[in-house]
Amino acid sequence: MIENIVGGFSSILAVGPITGIIVGIIVGIIFGAIPGISCIMAIAIILPLTFYVDPIVGIPMLLAVYKAGIYGGSISAILINTPGAAAAFLTAQDGFSLTKAGKSGKALSMALYASVTGEMLSTLVLIFVAAPISLISIKAGPIERVFLLIFAFTVIGSLSSESIPRGLLSCVLGMLFALVGMSPITGASRFTFGFTELLGGFTFTPMLIGILVMPEVIKALRQRNTPHQNLTLTKSSNPADNRISWKEYRSVFGTIIKSSGIGTFIGSLPGLGSSPAAFLAYGEAKRSSPNPEEFGKGSIRGIAAAESANNAVCGASLIPMLTLSIPGDDVAALMMGAFLIQGITPGPTIFYEHTHVIYTIFAGYFITDFFLLFIARIGFKFWTKVASVPKYYIFPCVTIFAFAGSFTANQDINDVLVLIIFSVLGYGMRLVGLNPAAFIIGFILTPFFEANLDQAIAIVGGNYLLFFSNPFSWIFTALTVLSVYSSMRQRKKAAAMKESVLIKVTES
Amino acid sequence: MNRRKIDVTFSTFLILVSLIILFNDNLVEGGVETELGSMFLPRLVAVCIMIFSATIGIQSIVKLHRGTKLESEEKIDTTGFLGIALYLTIFVLYWLAVPYVGFLAATPFAMLGIAFLLGCQSWVTMVVISVITPLVVNYGCSNYLRVFLPNGSLF
Repeated sequence: MIENIVGGFSSILAVGPITGIIVGIIVGIIFGAIPGISCIMAIAIILPLTFYVDPIVGIPMLLAVYKAGIYGGSISAILINTPGAAAAFLTAQDGFSLTKAGKSGKALSMALYASVTGEMLSTLVLIFVAAPISLISIKAGPIERVFLLIFAFTVIGSLSSESIPRGLLSCVLGMLFALVGMSPITGASRFTFGFTELLGGFTFTPMLIGILVMPEVIKALRQRNTPHQNLTLTKSSNPADNRISWKEYRSVFGTIIKSSGIGTFIGSLPGLGSSPAAFLAYGEAKRSSPNPEEFGKGSIRGIAAAESANNAVCGASLIPMLTLSIPGDDVAALMMGAFLIQGITPGPTIFYEHTHVIYTIFAGYFITDFFLLFIARIGFKFWTKVASVPKYYIFPCVTIFAFAGSFTANQDINDVLVLIIFSVLGYGMRLVGLNPAAFIIGFILTPFFEANLDQAIAIVGGNYLLFFSNPFSWIFTALTVLSVYSSMRQRKKAAAMKESVLIKVTES
Repeated sequence: MNRRKIDVTFSTFLILVSLIILFNDNLVEGGVETELGSMFLPRLVAVCIMIFSATIGIQSIVKLHRGTKLESEEKIDTTGFLGIALYLTIFVLYWLAVPYVGFLAATPFAMLGIAFLLGCQSWVTMVVISVITPLVVNYGCSNYLRVFLPNGSLF
């Protein structure tokens, strides 16, 4: 393993991959920092560019966009109290309080150092844990994989949406769309209605951009009358207010480590994402802090906890994808798409079939943190200016990039129609409370599910009891039931809490 | 707009689609015989769609019947829908125009249209951006990605 890691570092330290990482970081920070644009949009737009480059250039570039985008979200959260993602909500609370006190430099520095530390720790866990887990998961045969995928569909569907039926419906709708076209097993054409264009199924890139990116553009159009807010970096005359001293960093280091641990754990579980990690870590930091009353009013410990947990999810979210072929969230689903387009199937075999590529990607993921630290640190003022660019300049460009990105997939103008249709569908899904991420994950995993199910049926023949002859089948069935049950319980608890808060508010 | 009513309509639609998938054999053509068959998974998915849609639909019907207060996520704000319709119209027209007039000629108009919808204030900058962006995208696609964006058949 150490040999592979060293080999990975020697491959990544070349002009191409490093340029890709730097470009990815710059794009990620810019997109992450602009309010209303998420890093997912940046990844989806950059995705078509990576088709034509080597995987050791393209994939680290996408991962750099991801990491930098998550950090970039904290810039708008701190400067104008507008969290780009739900996970940055807590950063906004403490960060904006510091900005109002003229200490935005301190808040931004804390967010950066905590983000980078959290990401680094989680990347180390990814590097050292993913390969050993894959040793176990590679032993799973088609029957076990069927149960594993059922577990993945259920857990992602039940955790990722506002209600369990809506999450699961999103997932099965994704599965239905994946079934359009020629069956890879029987060669039959399904749901094509005589259109030969549909034989290959829906092209992945335009569908992805349509479902995940374009609804954000549509949302911005609906909010076009909201006044534009300029980001400004407040600077204090006291230099200590514009930076984080070593002493301050050391004082919160324990919190960063603990929060990174929470983020890594939550990130490695499919379907949870960065928001629960940030909230849990923030709560824990507040509970164990000597000054809990400062939280929400400009506490650097609060920023450190939220940001390190939030960013630690990045590395860990790739663990289920690389070891079990289960993308844990929407970004992991995008990354899985990028791997598949490059001809690499994420899963336990990746460590044996593409050893060089995967360890180079890991090395790239690790050194991205150093570049992020350097690039973000030198350009606070610049990022603030770039992130203040009005939406009427950005969204026309995003639309054109989406158009070009969709066209480049197959050099087919019909793919732009797919983009338009899925843009409407993606926005409609958000309106009715369906989850686009669960839809995409259902879409991506269905071909694997069908192939494994077919093999499993061939193995068991007519004796269907053989499906349950393996302990893995029982374990995953139990986990599936447990995930739905715990999700139901959590939702009931949350509803009861909401009701009691409402009663208290009405009484007061 | 009340999302519960949309839920009921949407669920009914999905249940009907699922019934068609379950009982219509003409949705699949050709293919070899396997143990699983070509329509096993689509039908399994259709059953799941029916179950989840029915759950959502029934919950909404019960809430509508009881007249319980709408929760924040159940209210759909329709302000700005005209903007969405105009944006999609621009996008469709752009898609239709590109094969005839070409990417370089059609893109500035599409960009200016979208910028207008978003309430653009500095038009000189926007015109410059709308001319430069397609040139850069076209150059990047043809030289680095080896993808040739449509030139148009009219010129």
